[in-house]
Amino acid sequence: MKQENTRIAVTETLMELAGKDPDIVLVCSDSLLVIKAKPYVDKYPERFIDVGIAEQNAVCCAAGLASCGLIPFVATYAGFITMRACEQVRTFVAYPGLNVKMIGANGGIAAGEREGVTHQFFEDLGILRAIPGITIVVPADAGQVREAVRAVAHQEGPAYIRIGSGRDPVVFEKPFPLEIGKVRILREEGRDVALFANGSILPRVLAAADELSQQGIKASVVEVHTLKPLDVETITEVLSQTGAAVTVEDHNIIGGLGSAIAEVIAENKPVPLVRVGLRDIFPRSGRPEKLLDYYNMGVSDIVAGARKAIEKKGER
Amino acid sequence: MSDRIKELTETARLVRKDLLKMIHLAKDGHPGPSLSVVDILTALYFGTMRIDPENPKWPERDRCILSKGHACPALYAILARLGFFSPDELPGLRSLESMLQGHPDMNKTPGIDTTSGSLGNGISIGLGMALAGRIKGLDYTTYVVTGDGELEEGVVWEAMMAAEHYRLGRLIVFIDNNEMQSGGPVKSISGLYPILPKLKAFGWHCQEINGHDFTEILEAVRCAQQETSHPSVILAHTIKGQGVPFMIGDNSWHKRVPTESELEEALAALGGDR
Repeated sequence: MKQENTRIAVTETLMELAGKDPDIVLVCSDSLLVIKAKPYVDKYPERFIDVGIAEQNAVCCAAGLASCGLIPFVATYAGFITMRACEQVRTFVAYPGLNVKMIGANGGIAAGEREGVTHQFFEDLGILRAIPGITIVVPADAGQVREAVRAVAHQEGPAYIRIGSGRDPVVFEKPFPLEIGKVRILREEGRDVALFANGSILPRVLAAADELSQQGIKASVVEVHTLKPLDVETITEVLSQTGAAVTVEDHNIIGGLGSAIAEVIAENKPVPLVRVGLRDIFPRSGRPEKLLDYYNMGVSDIVAGARKAIEKKGER
Repeated sequence: MSDRIKELTETARLVRKDLLKMIHLAKDGHPGPSLSVVDILTALYFGTMRIDPENPKWPERDRCILSKGHACPALYAILARLGFFSPDELPGLRSLESMLQGHPDMNKTPGIDTTSGSLGNGISIGLGMALAGRIKGLDYTTYVVTGDGELEEGVVWEAMMAAEHYRLGRLIVFIDNNEMQSGGPVKSISGLYPILPKLKAFGWHCQEINGHDFTEILEAVRCAQQETSHPSVILAHTIKGQGVPFMIGDNSWHKRVPTESELEEALAALGGDR
């Protein structure tokens, strides 16, 4: 599968933005190489801050920058922002609503792949979703990362963008505008089941939809790139049309997309749901595609999940 | 005593009375740590800072971060006296309708530069503010007022390293060194002391003063402002409960509400008819 580096996409987009807006600042915690930001630093050295291996400091520093009118992007590994610096994100960025943008790399077990659990982050979205006031975006690929970075830069307030390992599949061949806060319906033929998904796992979901189609099952595919604010209205409409749902995410099934959709289902449109994702366990190192298969995020798992959800419809 | 020092002394006396009344009415708050920091904050806000109460978000203003956010009754009283908001707000401290939150909120209270209250984060936020001044080409000074106990937090030292790395001469940190923290004497809880040798080793410009002597505070700020190539720390020896004899040496006043009679006794100890 064709790949494009989501980290380079961040840096290139930041350079494009920084050229137009003197308030853009990049804050790293010795994560310059993580997001391949050398070209940015060469071009905008005065708007690059490296606080060292110190994520709490990076987030508080960004809060200080933002409170003086700048637009800091804090970029490092997803878990170090959302876990090591969680309280700083909550109290000094989200609570005052400061204009800090966070970029979290290695989102998901596939993106942490051979690094192992310390660098595989599958809790980030659940943690941030529980904090008020943060826009959370999970772009599907590098092109979507570009769209997301532009979008959050132009909207006031805290935002988090989840990116990958650098070896990231291209999901959409052509540029595709990304509207924050709206889901994107990728396949609408389905009346049998809705597959809700986000991030780089989307190609597996599309493949599963194809396979379901061959089995005579019509599945809608809904990309929930914005986990917060959640497009509850459209999601509810899709649930009404399909009457069954599967969520697919490279994240713990607790806290992320699976939980978000479960909440909409429980409150708005009770239908059967199957959550495909990491089943609340710590994974292992491995090649990304093998990891996803091993931890029940394979195409066959999605297909089986869809069949199970549809089956449950009949039981109701 | 110069007129300036006399004025600051009188202002601090009134601020102490204000904050005790506020905590009494709120039935909640931290009188001891508020009293220890009053003179430092009074010297900054009435003596040195470039601020405009009519324009609290003025981009060129000096910033002050009260890292020890639990001492906010002192800061609220000062901001009210400066005219950032009406003194009529003070009795509302910690009540639902009030602009005065239990810990400082930069969006609810005019004059508060930073939300604070979770300890240890002020210097790091100050790092960002000082860097922002440099990036934007503004010559404001960023002051941080921290307790000594909260220096036990790791992010403090992360920020100390970075501030010297970036040679932030416009960052001035006051340590309200009252030697006490919530659970008791700092020296009984951690290996924090001595503080200044550590900061000297980090490359900071270091001074040590009496934090209840306005002449020393103002002189230390003047010296710190002259140091333009390193961040400055002013370790200010203070007394928890300063001004109210029965609160000194009794750490239960870290967080405790004075009764009606205790309030009267405290106000009487602070003197004057106001």
